[in-house]
Amino acid sequence: MRSLRVRLPPWIFLPIGLIAGWGCAQKLPIDEGRMVIALPGAPVNIDPRVATDAYGEQILQMTHASLVGRDGAGDPLPDLAQRWESPDPLTYIFHLRPGLRFHDGRPLTSVDVRYTFTWILDAANRSPHRGLYRHVAAIETPDPRTVVFRLSEPFAPFLSTMVRGIVPAGSPARGYAPPVGAGPYKIDDLSPDGEAVLSAYDGYYGGPPAIRAATVKFVPDSNVRFLELKMGSVNFVLNGVDPDLLPAAERTGRLVVEEGPGGNVTYLGFNLRDRALSDARVRRAIALAIDRETIVRTIWKGRADLVSSILPPGSWAHDPDLPAVPFDPARARRLLDEAGFPDPDGDGPLPRLRLTYKTSQNEVRRRVATVIQEQLRQVGISIEIQSLEWGTFFSDIKKGTFQIYSLTWVGISDPDIFHHAFHSRSGPPDGANRGGYSDAEVDRLTEAARREPSREKRREMYWRLQRILARDLPVFPLWAGRNLLVRDRRLTGFPLTPDESYASVRAMRIVPDPVTPSTGGPR
Amino acid sequence: MRRYLFGRLLRIIPVVFGVVTVVFLLIHLLPGDPVEIMLGESAVPAQKEELRRELRLDRPILSQYASFLAGVPRGDLGVSFRSREPVLGEIARRIPATLLLAATSIAVAVFVALPLGVLAAMRRGKPADYLSGFAAMLSLSIPNFLLGPLLVLLFSVQLGLLPVSGYGAGRPLVLPAITLGTGMAALLTRMVRATLLEELRKEYVTAATARGLSYRSAVVLHALRNALVPVVTAMGLSFGAVLAGSVITETIFSWPGIGRLLIQAIDARDYPLVQGCVLVIALSTVAVNLATDILCARLDPRIRYE
Repeated sequence: MRSLRVRLPPWIFLPIGLIAGWGCAQKLPIDEGRMVIALPGAPVNIDPRVATDAYGEQILQMTHASLVGRDGAGDPLPDLAQRWESPDPLTYIFHLRPGLRFHDGRPLTSVDVRYTFTWILDAANRSPHRGLYRHVAAIETPDPRTVVFRLSEPFAPFLSTMVRGIVPAGSPARGYAPPVGAGPYKIDDLSPDGEAVLSAYDGYYGGPPAIRAATVKFVPDSNVRFLELKMGSVNFVLNGVDPDLLPAAERTGRLVVEEGPGGNVTYLGFNLRDRALSDARVRRAIALAIDRETIVRTIWKGRADLVSSILPPGSWAHDPDLPAVPFDPARARRLLDEAGFPDPDGDGPLPRLRLTYKTSQNEVRRRVATVIQEQLRQVGISIEIQSLEWGTFFSDIKKGTFQIYSLTWVGISDPDIFHHAFHSRSGPPDGANRGGYSDAEVDRLTEAARREPSREKRREMYWRLQRILARDLPVFPLWAGRNLLVRDRRLTGFPLTPDESYASVRAMRIVPDPVTPSTGGPR
Repeated sequence: MRRYLFGRLLRIIPVVFGVVTVVFLLIHLLPGDPVEIMLGESAVPAQKEELRRELRLDRPILSQYASFLAGVPRGDLGVSFRSREPVLGEIARRIPATLLLAATSIAVAVFVALPLGVLAAMRRGKPADYLSGFAAMLSLSIPNFLLGPLLVLLFSVQLGLLPVSGYGAGRPLVLPAITLGTGMAALLTRMVRATLLEELRKEYVTAATARGLSYRSAVVLHALRNALVPVVTAMGLSFGAVLAGSVITETIFSWPGIGRLLIQAIDARDYPLVQGCVLVIALSTVAVNLATDILCARLDPRIRYE
């Protein structure tokens, strides 16, 4: 057979050369004064009245202003409302700043505030936030800069529910076209699953942000997010880089890793309807057998803090003197003996008891589950791990079909969470007392604390409550993951807060790079 | 031809019906309640019931199925639970991205597979043949979720030539198209080689060269054309695989296509959106296979429309 000689024509190299030339000539966005933020997913909706997903909320923190903001400890801060007062537990009066305007130039008045919350409360609009405002009986607007909320019953966490973006009166819910806001950035363009293009809003009451242009890219793959950071096509990722990749990020020289206390508490949930787990001694034995420090050191690379309450340590109601559960396998074995689960064969393979541990398919959670399985095996508890797709996993948890599960409380802003998570009448599907915990004193304290207007008295009640929970261990709080920010070293001025808020993005600036001057230079 | 087309179009109906039915049943069998996912934990029970009624999830499953089927011929695929937008609009926004990616990856596959397959057949048993065989095996063995990041590491991070992710018809398209097209290119390379070798053994090739036609012309003008019929059929069949592969590739490269939409819809238990996406994917696959059959008959007049 004759052979066919193949000679590549010279023009075939042209596209390769063009791509190469193009690639080399491309400036990075930061060189042109644009900051690129990557989020791990695309928002379902960017409308403060209906958005529930974390990514939508994070964009809203940059584009929409609320009546009140929140500081790192969960305390309310002035935002659109310059000040407020509560003459009695059923009345809250907010005074708006003068001269407020929306992105489209319309003035922002008390009518817009009333419209936003009335829209949410209107059953026809099916807002998922309606339940949050069920205590609101009436909203009055005596003048354009004053809004009065009247409640049907005292609700101490009310101010924390006022962190909700205000939209102009008459804004329809329009799916992907988000209503305008009055935040530091305005949305110029939004492509579903692609990116949101933002620009500085010159009329922002706090002054326009220093970085005039920003892009929020939706990058679901964690490795790709890291590679984008490495290349410089992304400059800012908050809690979106795997702990394993952080040393590599630091080695690039271009990137800086910052960490701060986090507010998301990971915990083990127990089903108290289960025969073995209904015994507090068994739950404590499990807690004593888990070496949390080793897990944090090896899996989280030290980037998590051990906790003793589901309330994050930065919260104003967190009890700093709660007793920590130590790692003490010998005591765990003794407690299991006392609870009627003796070791059937000494050092033999037979376990004292068998339990199922449900978790999601998240890689880090699966690794944590495997380590806990091994640590519990050391005290004679055999664990079967079931790693389930999120929808299935969460459905099982809500239905109560579990023995042990692991979850993380995200975005706890008010200690009223204890009512939601531990009150005996807060069972699923409407509450989060998934394990069926019931304690009369806990019920009394959670009810009284949500009606108590005095911060100091509330704090005392929550401290007592946390001590009861630390004694009974209906859940075992494990650790609070530290917030991890990976940013371009030229981006400065972002204060990390425990609640992962993006509101401070407006304070950021691009500074000249002292070591490697950029091609374009900051604007 | 018209009769053939009509018959084929009729046969699409049971296929699509079967796919839609199976998906409807599977998505409803999955644990997880869309109302709970939508409303979150702060919602009150009455609100959940209200929404369940609004979304018509309170009706028997057969009734829901009948409503869905009744809407399909009118192009009414319902309203997405999560975004509250019509499903057809949601899909229409994403489908151009997926079609662009699928078409480009098929073009990449053909562009690579044809010359490599011909080269391997012409140089059977020589290093070029072994090299092409090795490359094809390697490409088939690497899954997209590994190949994608490897290409990003080389072309984006090391060489800085292409963007890591993003959407566009230019540079952002290159790496996703190569990732998605590589497996198909490998398959087609081996098919071109095998079918061309089969043709080269036939007498008409010897006759053509005996009449003075150059060997290269005999291969390219005659043998290759006949060898392409099974290759085109394989391409058509691979289209479904390309669409399935796009689910992973779109996630890796943040490509805003229907694959990513489908994943998000499943996570949110957005039944109408899942059904709509699967229906569109099934219809596209069937349509491409029909087009493939017509193209085969064009390539080889011995194939009759029956």
